[in-house]
Amino acid sequence: MDAKQLSDGLATRFPGKILGVDPLDGTLGRIRFDPAVATDLFRSLRDDYQFTHLTLVGATDWIDHREVFYVLWSDTDRLYLVLSANLPTDAPVIASSVPIWPSANAHEREAWDLVGVKFEGHPDLRRIFMPEGYAYHPLLRSFKIHEPEDLEVKVRSD
Amino acid sequence: MTHGLWNLRVRIEGEIIKDVEPEMGYLHRGIEKISEDRHYNEIITLMDRTCYVAGLAWEHLFIVAAEQALHVTPPERAEYIRVLSAELQRIASHLMWYSAFVQDLGLMTPFLYGMRDRDLILDLFQSYTGGRLTYEYMRVGGVRSDLPLGFTQRCRQVVDWLMDRFVEYDQLCLSSTIFHERCDGLGVLLEPEAVAYGVTGPMLRSAGSHRDLRKDRPYSVYDKLQFQVATASTADVTGRYLVRMEEMRQSVRIVRQCLDWLDDHPGPVMAEHLPRWLGAPYAPMGNESYLLKRNYPTGVGLSMMEEPHGEAGAYVVNDGGEHPYRVKFRSPVLINIWAAKRYLPGYRVADIPPIMGSVDVCVGECDR
Amino acid sequence: MSGQAPEVPRPAVRPQTDASPAGDLPLAVIGQPGVPFVEIETLRAREFIPAAKEALSSLLKEQAQGKLIRPVFNWAGRNSLFPLHWGLACCAIEFAAAFGARWDAERFGVVPRSSPRQCDLLIVNGTVTWKVAHKLIALYEQMPEPKWAIAMGNCATGGGPFRTAYSVVPGVDKLIPVDVYIAGCPPRPENMLDGILRLEQLIKERGE
Repeated sequence: MDAKQLSDGLATRFPGKILGVDPLDGTLGRIRFDPAVATDLFRSLRDDYQFTHLTLVGATDWIDHREVFYVLWSDTDRLYLVLSANLPTDAPVIASSVPIWPSANAHEREAWDLVGVKFEGHPDLRRIFMPEGYAYHPLLRSFKIHEPEDLEVKVRSD
Repeated sequence: MTHGLWNLRVRIEGEIIKDVEPEMGYLHRGIEKISEDRHYNEIITLMDRTCYVAGLAWEHLFIVAAEQALHVTPPERAEYIRVLSAELQRIASHLMWYSAFVQDLGLMTPFLYGMRDRDLILDLFQSYTGGRLTYEYMRVGGVRSDLPLGFTQRCRQVVDWLMDRFVEYDQLCLSSTIFHERCDGLGVLLEPEAVAYGVTGPMLRSAGSHRDLRKDRPYSVYDKLQFQVATASTADVTGRYLVRMEEMRQSVRIVRQCLDWLDDHPGPVMAEHLPRWLGAPYAPMGNESYLLKRNYPTGVGLSMMEEPHGEAGAYVVNDGGEHPYRVKFRSPVLINIWAAKRYLPGYRVADIPPIMGSVDVCVGECDR
Repeated sequence: MSGQAPEVPRPAVRPQTDASPAGDLPLAVIGQPGVPFVEIETLRAREFIPAAKEALSSLLKEQAQGKLIRPVFNWAGRNSLFPLHWGLACCAIEFAAAFGARWDAERFGVVPRSSPRQCDLLIVNGTVTWKVAHKLIALYEQMPEPKWAIAMGNCATGGGPFRTAYSVVPGVDKLIPVDVYIAGCPPRPENMLDGILRLEQLIKERGE
């Protein structure tokens, strides 16, 4: 299977929802898709294309939008595939992939914790690294790293 | 737990575990955020501390992703030195696991033996990187310095000694009835479930899977090296022990091949024509306009590697500056602990130390 | 000086080397007539408990006068520091290596214990995050007095390479009183042992 075959197959299945394929070294490619078809696309990739292994879910803050990326692995083709979807900053919501790949659970909690992307249908979307009740999503670009000296002043003023 | 800073909430009925809830984040140090504010070569410092039992393996992981994002190719000798370092690091990491795991079972002598032999490998690292635990050795475009004189000879002596010791370890553990009674048939995670829960590394291979990225998707120079993938079929704690022991033997095999190659092929260990801001020590003079060029082509680098704990990944987005725009790591330990929801229920409370000990937890890379 | 030195009768009490806070009272009271420590050693097990009770009560009497027990306590405590077996981060690996075969930290009387109730030394061996800070304080408060704390490595000392991170406490001395700081990232096991020996020196000087 090569990237062309895969993207053509997906394009016929999800017309207009596959936005493009970029080459990426060491993988089959990077497929950009419309987040509206996320669940169906994941199921199709797992069942029809044997991407049985979800390796990674992560998110990036591009200031004007947020990007969610998935890295999948196919045992039969021994290939990685990267999926990526752009979400608007004011409503960064995408369907959860936990029903399809249970391993996404911790990754999606991490993406919610650090980048603030919401995964609809996730069974337990809580913070994973930062304590519960923490007010920020630290990997957003708007979250500036403060110098510890500022922090000390804050602690003293309390 | 003696394996670091994490929490396991267990719901029990009598002695039987019904449900578990792992809690992480106690060592979350914001490495991904700090990396956005750092030079590529400065992130290597963080990589050693991300996984403090396998620092060189994580340096290798990040460096390959960064080179892909920056479009740099290292010389072949550097690749061999990296693979040599990564495999020695795999042995050291597994020895650390062995020492901690047998302590969970209540055995003290194997702990002393494991730490003793691990120190021999750390001495080797010290002779060419200068550090015992945190090395800062690899660079974008190669490695910092070549191996010292007489290194291959010393390294061969150490791995020969280790091959004898592996027999001793097996005698200490596998001939012990207590070991078998505490480990056999515990924490069973069969292959389809392991794949669904994203478990990788020795835990997956102990279930009979042959998945090893060094074979399946050879990176660096692994396609030129002869070795076998260690597997077991029992899918339990004993199986994970056997897989790791066999992996150490295979790592010794790889180390010997690398040493042979390195003896015969002297050469440079840094790529030429690197821009000076990448910290190349031997950047050629005279081509200043090129050296001062700061706008490197943008790119995305994805590297996936078989780290001692499992399948680790680095995703580096370069937007043309000195700092990466985004760095994301895949930690195998996070997912392997997470799958405890699947492989712990049904066993007794007293089985938790051997089962979770067999996971090989390194919280630094789990929490990052 | 000529000829042989005149033979001085050996005193029953060894000359004092460890200055106690009381000043004149020597530490090496063991073996002095009237102090029951020596007899305890020769007692049989059956007689041990009443004898020990008697010894303890006499010690407590002297303690009430502020004379005896503090130097003994000091000497015994500083030579058997029990650190908490609590691994935080990278330094914990070197902490473990120090108890391995090559360095063998137990020859200094340093034995890691798993419960804070049995410990008098907290070695903060790694990065402390805000999420774990209250647990660190709780563990420190559970340790019985007198207690000591060592900040091992740059992270515990001042945040180290993660000083700028949003989740890291920039120095564990913001949370608990620290007696000895050990530099290094991570410190070698020798450095850790050096830090423990310096803490012993410190305890001796403070005479608590």
